[in-house]
Amino acid sequence: MNRSIRRLYLTIAGGFVALAVLLGYWQVVAASGLEDRSGNLQTAQRDRLIDRGRILTADGTVLAASRARRVDGQRIFERVYPQGSLAAHAVGYASEQQGKTGLEATWNRFLAGSFGTEPLLQRLNLSEKKGADLHTYLRSDVQRVATQALGAQRGAVVALDPRTGGVLAMASSPTFDPSAINTDFASINTQPGAPLLNRATGGTYPPGSTFKVVTATAALESDLFRATSRFDDTGSFSTPGGPIRNFGGRRFGEHTLRAALTNSINTTFARIGTTLGAAQLGATMSAYGFGERPPIDLPENEVVISGRRRDGQLLPNDENGADVARIAIGQERLDVTPLQMAMVVQAIANDGTLLAPRLMQRITDDGGSVVRQHVPEDLGQVADPQTAAELAGMMQNVVDEGTGTAAALSGLSVAGKTGTAETADSGRNQAWFIGFAPVEDPQVAVAVVIEDTPSTGGEVAAPVAAQVMRAALEG
Amino acid sequence: MTGRRTLELGVLAPAAVLGLLGLASVASARADAFETGPLPGAIAVLFVFLAMHIALRLRAPLADPYLLPIVGLLTAIGLVELHRIDPALAEDQAIWVAVGGAVFVGVLALLPDHHLLERYRYMIGLGGVLLLVATMIFGTRINGSKLWIEIGGGQTVQLGEVAKVMIVIFLAGYLREKRELLAIPTRRRMGIPVPPMSALGPVLAFLAAALLLVVVLNDFGSGLLFFGVFLAMVYIATGRAWYVGIGAALFAVGALAIYLAVPRIEARVDGWLTPFDDPQGQGFQLVQSLYALAEGGILGPGLGRGFLVTEQGTTVIPALETDFIFSAVATELGLVGGVAILLGYLLLVQRGFAIAMDANDGFSKLLAGGLTAVVGIQAFLIIGGVIRLIPLTGVTLPFMSYGGSSVVTNFGLVAILLVVSHRAQAERSREPAPPPAEVEPARE
Repeated sequence: MNRSIRRLYLTIAGGFVALAVLLGYWQVVAASGLEDRSGNLQTAQRDRLIDRGRILTADGTVLAASRARRVDGQRIFERVYPQGSLAAHAVGYASEQQGKTGLEATWNRFLAGSFGTEPLLQRLNLSEKKGADLHTYLRSDVQRVATQALGAQRGAVVALDPRTGGVLAMASSPTFDPSAINTDFASINTQPGAPLLNRATGGTYPPGSTFKVVTATAALESDLFRATSRFDDTGSFSTPGGPIRNFGGRRFGEHTLRAALTNSINTTFARIGTTLGAAQLGATMSAYGFGERPPIDLPENEVVISGRRRDGQLLPNDENGADVARIAIGQERLDVTPLQMAMVVQAIANDGTLLAPRLMQRITDDGGSVVRQHVPEDLGQVADPQTAAELAGMMQNVVDEGTGTAAALSGLSVAGKTGTAETADSGRNQAWFIGFAPVEDPQVAVAVVIEDTPSTGGEVAAPVAAQVMRAALEG
Repeated sequence: MTGRRTLELGVLAPAAVLGLLGLASVASARADAFETGPLPGAIAVLFVFLAMHIALRLRAPLADPYLLPIVGLLTAIGLVELHRIDPALAEDQAIWVAVGGAVFVGVLALLPDHHLLERYRYMIGLGGVLLLVATMIFGTRINGSKLWIEIGGGQTVQLGEVAKVMIVIFLAGYLREKRELLAIPTRRRMGIPVPPMSALGPVLAFLAAALLLVVVLNDFGSGLLFFGVFLAMVYIATGRAWYVGIGAALFAVGALAIYLAVPRIEARVDGWLTPFDDPQGQGFQLVQSLYALAEGGILGPGLGRGFLVTEQGTTVIPALETDFIFSAVATELGLVGGVAILLGYLLLVQRGFAIAMDANDGFSKLLAGGLTAVVGIQAFLIIGGVIRLIPLTGVTLPFMSYGGSSVVTNFGLVAILLVVSHRAQAERSREPAPPPAEVEPARE
């Protein structure tokens, strides 16, 4: 019997060894993988104990902060957004139930104080977690004007500093109050107009005539055309996909490339596109960043790639056999974000050099010392400086005497391009304006889109852009 | 030989110190003020163990000296963790520990020789079955399982806990009587030796009863525990592994049928196989247990410093104080603490089987082995459940889970083990060279 008892003991001991091994698996091997799962109450509690860093505008306005409160002898923190919905889409939210979005997600490691040697010290209980402050390029005055100018209209505004790539304003309408995310998420999420969507980076629209700036860049860079190249418009340009006509059925007769942009002449740009071909136009698109996710410091799922899509699948910019004539005038499956179009004008305003758009200007730790500083990131030369200057001059004409006169600012030179893309509903448009100012020394580049409006880009988007540029230049 | 008792006192002391240190850790985690509230309760529990120690000195001086300190340590950690979850739970539990202590002393006082139990084995076995039947008939359903009987004042008792011990006593007597019949098969069927029906009948009846328990009480854990202990005792009695194999296979087939037929069991198994498919519903409890274990890491934040109770006062893992008490400890003390608890139970099992091997007769061996198997298998089932080794079963973790019936029964169980231990030593010292009281069954 003793032999049986000994064997029984060994069997049970074997079971306990299995328990110890599996326990070690969960507590050591699998631990870090479990940590990141949503719905992990332990991780949520850990977040609650951290004095999360603030998110500020360039002028020191606090967009997000933490407020301490004592519960059961422990200090726990809740996230507050003192400015309510101001820049809500860029800031995002840090919510226990709903997760993190926007800058709250991108810079979480710093905001939560897990950077440098801190994690090690915290593990050894030598240091308390203290979040770092995130100082953005956002300017509260510009942001406020952008939000107010959009008003009740659905749409978005992106304003960039063309010299750094810094985002001066990022507005999306309708918007939401991140303070209400924990309590009202369901109702916010189901409101008409999808207020949680960041239209500036995640909303895609056909670019319409604003895309002619890209076509013009390709034309000038190809050395086949100059601003003074002459064209003759008969009111129609025939393509294998059917004839292309001008807006309002107009005929312009003899004109230059400069005039073609000023008056947004479809037939001429269709002709240019056909001459350049898919490869050349596609190369310029790629140089501007189409077809790739803009490298802005926002979560990937909030930033949509601009380009041509078929059945939701992104097509190569230089797709063989594409209807280049229609691509050249911003049609033919093109879907772009306001951020991408802002990048286009940023590059032109910056002597042809594209910069990575960036919200984070610097991060400072508890003691105020800078732990991270943004250095403008060069994404490549889209056009050489002369081409950029030529384009700028042509775009200035648009605002001075063409379709974009509503963007004019008294005493300042403004360059721009309007766009009016028709939607499936006849009589409803996606209205665009992209531009920058002042032309001699560009300090702000802006892209505005107004959704689903009976008006044109020149009528509704250009005035918004004017207000935003004025705010940026006056501040 | 009071040396054993002095050794016991010497090992009890560090167990007590560890318990008090745990209490201090919980108190210091509450930064507001150092609370002295639980101190009288802790001292009372110390006195309960001191009383049990004195009872052993008087009634069973030769009994194993390590059993009581191990039980003391597990009880202390359980109490500290309960106090940390909700002080009111620990107060309740401390009262039950006192009652358990009284039962422990009572067993030592009234049962000088456990062979008395052998004489009344059928009566005790019948009593155990009646307790289970009573639970089936008068039981109240809690969380879908029918394990509790209301005894007025909102109090409930789990008679199944007591029945568990009674049935082990019966089986020890029964198997001791029939082991030759079971061990020496008379016929072969398809090459497999088959014992006579007169011996096999009750075995099959027991298997059927265990499955019935699962269905009627809706309690897979108890069924598995009863049957596991039964197989363990059959193995001790006969030394035949294939009995266990066939029994386990039959139970597995029965369990599979139940899995397919009873939705609740099916849900539990699915919650075990794929907890992350439904982390907010069926898998919630297990998934949060695993998250908590992961958060604990190797060393854990220390007792009182883990995240176990939310702001609203609810526990992070449902049933934390009962089924998931091990998760609570392993979260706060990390892998090191969790393995220490495992070693504690393994040591308890080792001492129990040592007592069984040390015993001089078959009944004593079967009794001690069976009682030890109860504790070992039960600890394995519930710890394995909360760390996802096996499907979650609602059995308690002996000495640690919140619940009076479990604590009181297990203290009584340990008292019987210690009586067996003392008797074996006493018999041996009386007869310097005793002839083996039991002859090992002839082996082929």
